[in-house]
Amino acid sequence: MLDDSIYAQLLDRALRRGGDYADVFAERRRVVSYRLQDGRIHDGALALTNGVGIRVVVGESAGYGFSDDLSLEALLRAADAAALVARSAPAGQTRHADTLASGAVDESLYHGYSEQIADAGRYVGLLSRADAAARAVDPRIAAVNAHVVDELQEVWIANSDGRIVHDRRPMVTLGVQAVAVDGGERGSGYAGDGGRTSIAYFDAHSPEELASDAARVAITNVEAIPAPAGEMEMVVGAGGGGVLLHEAVGHGLESDFNRQGVSLYSGRVGERVASELVTIYDDGNLPEERGTVAVDDEGVPGQHKVLVERGVLRGYMQDTLNARLMGVTSTGSGRRQSFRCLPQPRMCNTYMPSGESTFDEIVRSTKRGLYAKSFAGGQVEISRGDFVFMVAEGYLIEDGKITAPVKNATIVGNGPDVMTKVVAVGNDERLARRHYTCGKGGQYVPVGVGMPSVKISSITVGGTHG
Amino acid sequence: MDKDEALAVAQRAVAIALDAGASDAEATLAVSRQFHAEVRDTTIAQLEQSTSKGLHVRLFVNGRRAGLATSDFSDGALRSALAATVDQAAQVAEDPLSGLPDAFASDWPDLDLEDPVLIARDDAAKVDDALSLERLIRAADPRIENSSGSDSGDTATTVALANSRGFGGAYSGTRAGLSTGPVGDDGGAKRTAHYGTAGRKLADLESVGFVAATAARRVTEMFGARKPQTMRVPVIFERDVAAAVLSDIFAALSASNVAIGNSWLAGRAGERIGSDLVNLVDDGRLPGKLGSSPFDGEGVATRRTVAFERGVLRTFLYDTYYGRKLGAESTGNASGGGIGPNSFYLEPGSGTLEDLVAKTSRGVLVLETIGFATEHASGTYSRGARGFYIENGELAYPVEEFTIAGRFPEMLAAVDAVAADLRFDGSVVAPSFRVGEMMLSGE
Repeated sequence: MLDDSIYAQLLDRALRRGGDYADVFAERRRVVSYRLQDGRIHDGALALTNGVGIRVVVGESAGYGFSDDLSLEALLRAADAAALVARSAPAGQTRHADTLASGAVDESLYHGYSEQIADAGRYVGLLSRADAAARAVDPRIAAVNAHVVDELQEVWIANSDGRIVHDRRPMVTLGVQAVAVDGGERGSGYAGDGGRTSIAYFDAHSPEELASDAARVAITNVEAIPAPAGEMEMVVGAGGGGVLLHEAVGHGLESDFNRQGVSLYSGRVGERVASELVTIYDDGNLPEERGTVAVDDEGVPGQHKVLVERGVLRGYMQDTLNARLMGVTSTGSGRRQSFRCLPQPRMCNTYMPSGESTFDEIVRSTKRGLYAKSFAGGQVEISRGDFVFMVAEGYLIEDGKITAPVKNATIVGNGPDVMTKVVAVGNDERLARRHYTCGKGGQYVPVGVGMPSVKISSITVGGTHG
Repeated sequence: MDKDEALAVAQRAVAIALDAGASDAEATLAVSRQFHAEVRDTTIAQLEQSTSKGLHVRLFVNGRRAGLATSDFSDGALRSALAATVDQAAQVAEDPLSGLPDAFASDWPDLDLEDPVLIARDDAAKVDDALSLERLIRAADPRIENSSGSDSGDTATTVALANSRGFGGAYSGTRAGLSTGPVGDDGGAKRTAHYGTAGRKLADLESVGFVAATAARRVTEMFGARKPQTMRVPVIFERDVAAAVLSDIFAALSASNVAIGNSWLAGRAGERIGSDLVNLVDDGRLPGKLGSSPFDGEGVATRRTVAFERGVLRTFLYDTYYGRKLGAESTGNASGGGIGPNSFYLEPGSGTLEDLVAKTSRGVLVLETIGFATEHASGTYSRGARGFYIENGELAYPVEEFTIAGRFPEMLAAVDAVAADLRFDGSVVAPSFRVGEMMLSGE
């Protein structure tokens, strides 16, 4: 986006007061979107982003400045703002290479992108097809809202080690929300898909199938009975159940919380933290997945990381700042929402590999419990690992059989506790449909989750029905 | 960039949009200068300082609408981006209701939104606030030896809006905030809490000492917390969590959700839903408050709107489009292309949070919730929570790892006490209040 000489000039300027490390993150992003409402195309939008963020690291301190004005004068001001931090912390050794060497990125992880905005009719056609398919499911579908987003983010990351990389990351999303009304009852369902690919993805993955699923969940929820309250067994569905790993364990293994001693997993690598049925990976290299990065937002290639192996904690997800302070190397987990933000250690695609049990065996072994087929999202408190999940589609299990759908259950538990209560892991591992976004410290990044069916021996279900 | 320069950029964008083929257009430019410091112990972990600019254009081509967001305001860039936006509008269905408002703000009250003291303040003093928070939380209790950081930050923002019907207006405002997250050692296990304060002016903030002491107490008072039994009990929402409950009610009051069937309040205007204590107001003109501005995101004059009066649903909250759709006038709630709060609050009652506890023979005080599980279509509310079990009007012991759940119609009808501890430290705020009965799910 900028001349190589300008990156070098900005790095010099950023380090002029000293510092251990500096990087420049230049971003160009184009987002085309359309929304459907009331059976017709409601609006369209174009968002164009151009900006540069400059960071100086001194010991545990990071200084940051950014600019959405690309003039040299404004960029130098951003570098000066970043350099201010070097005034208030002891300066380390300044390392700087005279020339920037280009690093290679593995573009094969992304399945195509649109250089130009695709033919507009193609986007709105997907929305209209989704609308018709959702309404065709049941006359009780009263409203359908859908959106399609086609995004291309290009980043250039140059650092004071003398490296520059360019990554071009596509992302498409199609989301459908259906609302069902039956008498005084209302229920909604959502389905979303896409990934790091072009809009051509939906040639093979039909909007009809996605929309039918959203409508089916809405109908299930309008017919659902109030969720039970209290402790019971839980069967977590394959795919979308992976939100459980993301919240219950994943966040607690991000290196910032562990370096700071804030996470309950701090200093526990090598210890048993889960049932030995539990293995958890985080992977930045899964083709086309939302959380995949050929290089992360610090220019480090995405990697496959073993977080937990047969119940034993193996390692954390590292960005460069925390890795350096902990004496290890980055795992390619430094991510940021945009050039306006400092990078943080984050998850990419977090999943658990298959175990031995079949789904039927797992359900049959459950006396009284909740089958959480998919989660709408969750949140965790890092220091204790207390988490909450919202069930998007859930059913009662009674005497080994899946029975009535239940409305809007919330699950509450403690991460390390629940991981010791994993008593069966299914042989049906799969990644969830691609629509998850993770929030941390006000920054949102796309992620993937996956899981086989899993049985938890006891968990608290927070329904309204005692 | 001052207000006049910002307005000139917005006016130029409107002219270019019309040139590109739009029949009407509106441009909003927001320029903000931000400062943020995060300190851990005695080290500055993050020091950020920047100016950001964002231009949003909404354009209409004979009832078809499209929008552009960009930070490149050069003539050439705007011409090509707006031409592409006009092309996008061609894909949109014609909608006779879409378009600019019919009337715009014409009075310019002094809303006292800017703090010259804050603007003139030295960066070192701001960093010192965060350093002090770190020192004070550690001094408050020997069991607090760590933190997830203390933050000090502020922004100074100028907003300018112009449209093709001749409206042009601009205002500037400031916001400052302080927060801290101490970590305590509860017999080998860690506990955290967060407390913060915010306002338009430095003088509106709670003191550094108060913020540190409150955060430290929130950590240590939870030591030894237990999981409660599953039961139906009265629930007291402390004002921060009460405000989060109000955010859900705001979403249900938003005409955009009502119109698409995603609100449990749809079709219920005029009905008595809450108790007499449920008086919910949206006001864009309270002097000096974070939610105040002279005009909304479409240039419509802000105002005071009573959404719930003594439990009766009086009106939804509208922008121009959804007002037209549902047969009402805009309430001045257009925000960022959708509908948002000005200052949306529950009117205060009397007494303190302690008074609410004292008149509760058995119940739960909720100090923190996690999760965001609200199903707006059905009005089902459910959260993970922590706080205190109340016995005989006193805090008996801390409780955690439970959920509280209910349906909004029943929760609002059961609001039986509201305290007077309202603070305008955000745009959605509430005093502490009690709901007569909710489902608590624990052991």
